[in-house]
Amino acid sequence: MEKLLEMAKKVCDQAEIYSVDNKSNVVSFENAKLHDIDTKFQSGVSIRIIKDGKLGFAYTRNLINREELLQNALNSLKGGVSADYEFPKTLDLPKLNTYDSSIDNITSNQMVEECSRVCELLKKTNGEISSTAYSYTETIRVMNTKDTDVSNKISQFGIYGSIAYPGSASGIGRVSSAKKFEKMPNELIQETVDTFNVSSKEVTAKGGKMKVMFMPNCMYALNWRINNGTSAKSIYEKISPIADKVGEKIFSDKISIYDDPLDDKYPGARAFDDEGVATSKLHIVENGVLKNFYYDLNYAKKLNAKSTGNGYRSAQWESDRISLKPTPVLANLRYKTGNKSFKEMVKMIDRGIIIEGALGAHSGNIPNGDLSIGANPALYVENGEILGQIKDVMMAANIYELFKNVVEVSNTLYYSYSGLMPAILFDNVSVATKS
Amino acid sequence: MLDKLKQILSKIDADYADIRYEIKKDIVITFNGKELSQIGSNSTDGYVVRALKDGGFASAVFTKIDDAAQVAKTVVENAKLIGKDNKKPVKLAKTDVVKENYTPDFIEDPRKVSIEEKLNITRRANEAALAHKEIATTNVAYREVIREKTFVTSEGSEIKEDLITVSLAGEIIAKDGNLVQNVRVATGGSDGFHTIRNPEKNFEERTQIAIDLLKATPVKAGTYNCILNPSMAGVFTHEAFGHFSEADIIETLPAMREKMKLGSKLGSDVLNIIDNATIPNQLGFYKYDDEGIKVKHAQLMKNGVLVGRLHSRRTAAEFNEPLSGHCVAEDFRYAPIVRMGTIFIEPGDKSLEELFALLGDGLYILDAKGGQTAGENFTFGAQYGYIVKNGKKAEMIRDINISGNLYKTLLGITAVGKDLVLSKRGGCGKGQINIRSCSGAPHVIAQGLVLGGA
Repeated sequence: MEKLLEMAKKVCDQAEIYSVDNKSNVVSFENAKLHDIDTKFQSGVSIRIIKDGKLGFAYTRNLINREELLQNALNSLKGGVSADYEFPKTLDLPKLNTYDSSIDNITSNQMVEECSRVCELLKKTNGEISSTAYSYTETIRVMNTKDTDVSNKISQFGIYGSIAYPGSASGIGRVSSAKKFEKMPNELIQETVDTFNVSSKEVTAKGGKMKVMFMPNCMYALNWRINNGTSAKSIYEKISPIADKVGEKIFSDKISIYDDPLDDKYPGARAFDDEGVATSKLHIVENGVLKNFYYDLNYAKKLNAKSTGNGYRSAQWESDRISLKPTPVLANLRYKTGNKSFKEMVKMIDRGIIIEGALGAHSGNIPNGDLSIGANPALYVENGEILGQIKDVMMAANIYELFKNVVEVSNTLYYSYSGLMPAILFDNVSVATKS
Repeated sequence: MLDKLKQILSKIDADYADIRYEIKKDIVITFNGKELSQIGSNSTDGYVVRALKDGGFASAVFTKIDDAAQVAKTVVENAKLIGKDNKKPVKLAKTDVVKENYTPDFIEDPRKVSIEEKLNITRRANEAALAHKEIATTNVAYREVIREKTFVTSEGSEIKEDLITVSLAGEIIAKDGNLVQNVRVATGGSDGFHTIRNPEKNFEERTQIAIDLLKATPVKAGTYNCILNPSMAGVFTHEAFGHFSEADIIETLPAMREKMKLGSKLGSDVLNIIDNATIPNQLGFYKYDDEGIKVKHAQLMKNGVLVGRLHSRRTAAEFNEPLSGHCVAEDFRYAPIVRMGTIFIEPGDKSLEELFALLGDGLYILDAKGGQTAGENFTFGAQYGYIVKNGKKAEMIRDINISGNLYKTLLGITAVGKDLVLSKRGGCGKGQINIRSCSGAPHVIAQGLVLGGA
């Protein structure tokens, strides 16, 4: 890597080397039986060079042939992708606790035992049980010609348990995660069982305007739209509906949203982004007021702003980071918690649905903030009681309207598919049903 | 390479093992609005091994050859662990030993077209959209993915196959005040670069739709009878039915497996569905899957009755059904899973005019905008549509998202048109992306669809 950087220095104005090494082990139980174990050892190196204001980019799995990698990057300069920004000089970073070395000692056997325990507890229902445990370690290193040489090692262990309604393959699932091996909390397993039991009965209900509760596992459907509206990329492309609204109240005052990369209590903390820029806590919305957009180096330069340390190699449908250029991403999005528990929030619903899973979150008009999703499943609530589940349900909203009508944000955050998320109860939402 | 792979395989102490090595080359050219944001050509590679030992089957992926020994050990240990308390040992369906080096024919080989020419074509397509003042921005990308696969099994099969997929696709975003509307555009294929050439007309047409959507009315939530155009009906077939034809999905769901028994009546009498990746010159074509099984024509539904299923070697043995050759991986980062190849509704006898007359009042909805299936429920979006009154197309509508149900929605397909069209770009995500996932259909009438509205 050092040698590659030396070579690059000689032929261009600036250079950056990004490397990643990761190991993962995934154990999956289906129908409460051990079904699969999948192990991965992967690595890769990516190079960005800037010469005469143009960008060159290339990547490889194995750094066997440095000349070839550099030549690919030099070739791509000819395309004429402009790059007016400078790679950062990042020397002092806060020391984060992101890695627990005990992760290296977790065996497949131990993961099998934990999945097996979770399955046994979930079996108290008549549903079909599945469970997955994973362990993951990763080392990222970013070096550049400004003498930046930063690296970060992370560890993550997670476990997922779900119960499906027989014949449906749709059901209730929960996930827990930590930096080291930790058993799935029994309360979380019990909540999965209880939620499954109250919702197994199929009921019918008329559509219309009603209260809708988004559970943590489907918050990503809302977050995608918030991310889109507040990204420097959308601001630069003039497609954000809130481009001119900084300082204005756009959401209910119950809503505070921020990016918190330095919070190392949970897996995924980062002191620097994928461009080597130091990260910091960034308020996006505070008590309903739009505070900030988030930037990577490229869009910060275009918009005459500073990078907020949100340049990550990430894309919606592509996970091979070395093949991606950094783009603005909220990697550690959090919501400020509210005052009520999930159970108390259910009591606040006169008539409405609880969305446990979202379907088709990617197919609405995301730039405009529109959302039109299937609920999978939808739990139907009347007078604070969950009566059962309804099928063929869709809810639709525009997030800039939806977030004005917040009834409550839950007082706990759950681990979910999009990180730590609360449940949020909204009022006056359009719901369509078959009956 | 063959010898190196055989050597790795020889160190795996298993009842059966296979190894797949792939070199993946890609070219990406991306425009965001008028700016070129990425261009380049790259090559990566890696290995996937799988081992069956004492009734357990496990897989492992690695990219550094130095990890091979560790992986050979781990994958066998994991397989044994799976097999240990397993009352029903994993079996793999028997197959012939194949030795073949297969290179597909191209109408125009994309590797012989310079990157400058690819850039020019992409730029022209992008400019066709940006020429209109209503267009705020675009995201347009040319992608070329070359998978050079070498596959070896402990049974003696040795197969090489190259897959080259090209696409020119993206999103055109129109804006009026604070209202933003987007339309997708996609072309491409697996038989050559000719599928990309002269894209301007297509981009012009899609741009006009984006502009028209600024004036369209949001659809009201409710239940509607609809005519689906071929793109919509194709994605509908993929989401509503296709995923449940993938045996690995229902393998471990006893109740669903019972409902999805061959012979079950799931669709209306007019519905015939096939997966046929063997058809040449279409996106989904391949010869061997990533277990070395030759892909076959698979009739899945006949007159509404379930008659077949898509399999891996593992699921074919488990279900005691014939191998179909549908176990496919995205690339060297993944072990293969059961995937659709080219799934479509077979053409019926109705003209589009007849379908409109049959519909009477309802909606005409066009061009899929992504779908998702989870269990029996699925959703899919349409990019635009029209209200239909008395068999006549009336005003344009937007914000169309549909929810459906495996056991009910296919029974609501009451008429099938003659005009089969297959998709030109894939991208099904089932944990990993299948860029060759091809779907198609003629125009169809689907009754009683729930729309979310806006």
